[in-house]
Amino acid sequence: MTMDENKLTFDKITADLTHHIRINKGFLLWMGFLTVSLLVCLYAYSLQLRNGLGVAGIRDYVTWGMYLANFVFFVAASLIGMLISAVLGLIGMKWLTPITRIAETIAVAFAAVAGLVIVSDMGRPERLAYVFLYGRPQSPILWDVTVITTYFVLSLLLLFLPLIADMAIIHRKVPTLPSWLKPVYKFLSLNFTNHPEQNKIINRSIRILLILLIPAALSIHTVTSWLFAVTSRAGWDSTVFGPYFVSGAFVAGSAAVIIAMFFFRKNYKLENYLTDMHFNNMGKVLATVSLVYLYFNINEFLVPGYKLKHADAIHLQELFAGKDAILFWIVQLGGLIIPILFLLFRRFRNPMPLMLISAAVMIAAWFKRYLIVVPTQEHPFLPIQHVPQNFVHYTPTLIETLITIAPFILVLIIITLISKFFPVIPLHETAVEKGVDHVKFD
Amino acid sequence: MRFNKLLLIFFIFSVGTRVSAQTWVVPDDQKGVVASFKFTPDMQKQGEQIYVKNCQSCHGQMGKDNWAKLTPPPGDLSKEKAQVQTDGELFYRITAGKVPMPEFRNILAEDDRWWVIAYIRSFNPKYVQPNPVAKAAFTGRIVTLAMQYSDPMKKIVVSATEQLKEGQTGPAAGVEVMLYVKRYFGSMQVGDIKTTNAKGEVMFEFPADLPGNKDGFVEVTARVNDPKSVMKTTPANAALAIGAKTDKPSLTDTRAWWSVRSQAPIWILLTYTLSVIIVWGFILYIVYSIMKIRKLSKG
Repeated sequence: MTMDENKLTFDKITADLTHHIRINKGFLLWMGFLTVSLLVCLYAYSLQLRNGLGVAGIRDYVTWGMYLANFVFFVAASLIGMLISAVLGLIGMKWLTPITRIAETIAVAFAAVAGLVIVSDMGRPERLAYVFLYGRPQSPILWDVTVITTYFVLSLLLLFLPLIADMAIIHRKVPTLPSWLKPVYKFLSLNFTNHPEQNKIINRSIRILLILLIPAALSIHTVTSWLFAVTSRAGWDSTVFGPYFVSGAFVAGSAAVIIAMFFFRKNYKLENYLTDMHFNNMGKVLATVSLVYLYFNINEFLVPGYKLKHADAIHLQELFAGKDAILFWIVQLGGLIIPILFLLFRRFRNPMPLMLISAAVMIAAWFKRYLIVVPTQEHPFLPIQHVPQNFVHYTPTLIETLITIAPFILVLIIITLISKFFPVIPLHETAVEKGVDHVKFD
Repeated sequence: MRFNKLLLIFFIFSVGTRVSAQTWVVPDDQKGVVASFKFTPDMQKQGEQIYVKNCQSCHGQMGKDNWAKLTPPPGDLSKEKAQVQTDGELFYRITAGKVPMPEFRNILAEDDRWWVIAYIRSFNPKYVQPNPVAKAAFTGRIVTLAMQYSDPMKKIVVSATEQLKEGQTGPAAGVEVMLYVKRYFGSMQVGDIKTTNAKGEVMFEFPADLPGNKDGFVEVTARVNDPKSVMKTTPANAALAIGAKTDKPSLTDTRAWWSVRSQAPIWILLTYTLSVIIVWGFILYIVYSIMKIRKLSKG
């Protein structure tokens, strides 16, 4: 290859992956829509702050309602950064390169917001710091806030390190970058000049992060599951809750990555980089993790169902044939069994059908968390006497629903901002892999 | 978005009407109830102390509008909404309660409840107390219990005396007596209900293996069984050294999972601290490495 050809290829990659980095009308409209929606939800939250948690449907029986289901869902979705980047990446799957940043973006966005979701369940949010000031090291709650903070920082660093080289390229070569952002990119690119020593530090740091990410990610969702499993209540009292939650998290996260891939490919014209092969492979990943999750589901329901201890029997009856049965079977069939069957066929792993399947999986994943958190609390071992009827059955309110939607809008805002101002696909890494890394920096 | 806002407004409106629709009706025969004594500044002072202990956490300091943010709002009792009510209405609400307002029937004595009202009324300059109505003279039995432990018989002897005419007292026969011993979370009944004999006496066997404190003391109470409240009764209390001596450390005295923070098991402290130090050590190392990238550009 001559220098000219190299230069051409590198410029082409740069142009392909960065042409969307500009402030255009569509972006402003979308952000405007998100901001207005967020403000509506924040108004709902201000009502809760003023009037107390009573504005939500949670009462003395069901004290963990949609807010906690939401929290579990957000922690779950953030776990995908670990599966894609660390597990599959360390094994050496090269096809993943264009997907890693998407997975990390999702991990950072969901992990950052998960902490806020838990605050929505607090009647006195200004006492959040008390968890650290007065937390007991014996309590899974202290472990949870510790590992979530740690995982968020690890994910943020893992997102940032490959961006150093990309930002060095962008502030030199992307004319559409808003001028006020140039000095910021220049500063954050840390004078990166493609010096071998610089690359060595970045690669070594990434490697350390990937290794740390595996135990950290396993911890956050295992500890989150322990918040439930360390109690002896029917439906929570389970020894497989850790792996059950972790495998379920991979299902939700893979679906989230596929949905994000689909929209980035379409909106940012990345068809040459996010190819049908990537969707096919991600479809296989989703099928695999779904099968693992199905396996844990069978364990989770069959074993207590066989023994039918009194409290378990009431709980399972409500899920299988009682009050929660319709939701339960829609979630289990529509969010797990039918998607697995579809994903076995090649044609359903094409981008459009795969995105639709992933959307169904994602929605079911949220309601699955609801089914894990809420029904158990409606059957206390020691029912309280003389309670009002609305204590016994949990019905979410509109204010509560809006406060539950707010974190989703926040996640969309974070993902939009990251994907809009940085290459969705790692630029420098792609260039290196295509053998055109003779980037000259002045 | 407009639709969402409309929904929200509709919702707030519907909640508002629902709360106001749940009015708290005081029975007609209770509205006219008045105190049996004239309120004095002394009673207002007593009432203030009771108010601070039992009412202030929700209703806030009188006149300062700093009541707790609850639904429905407790409100400041110095304000019109409370002051327009009759003494009987206030007394009924304090006595009976209605979720989330607790009932004070069994928490505050009748006079205590009236003293609180005396305190509340002291914030209303226009208030004129209705003429006190003396309570009808009590005609039922007035029984007082006494208790002692009989060592030779190894039994608790409860004796009941009652007021007879003209200030005389005599043994109360045919009174049902219950014996309780104080346990960690309340009182436990010992034996069955027993009826006093002609001497006004009743005997209870006390189990020898019932755990007491480290000197063997247990707190025992004898009460009259009077479910319909037709008598005036005074229970008997005593601390007796008849329990088994028990000197168990408190559950939070040793290091354990369930204990307080300062009593966390060593291995948990070590595991938690080491994990945090190791992982955050690596994170700091990486941040330090990132700083080095900037310097290397000159090389």
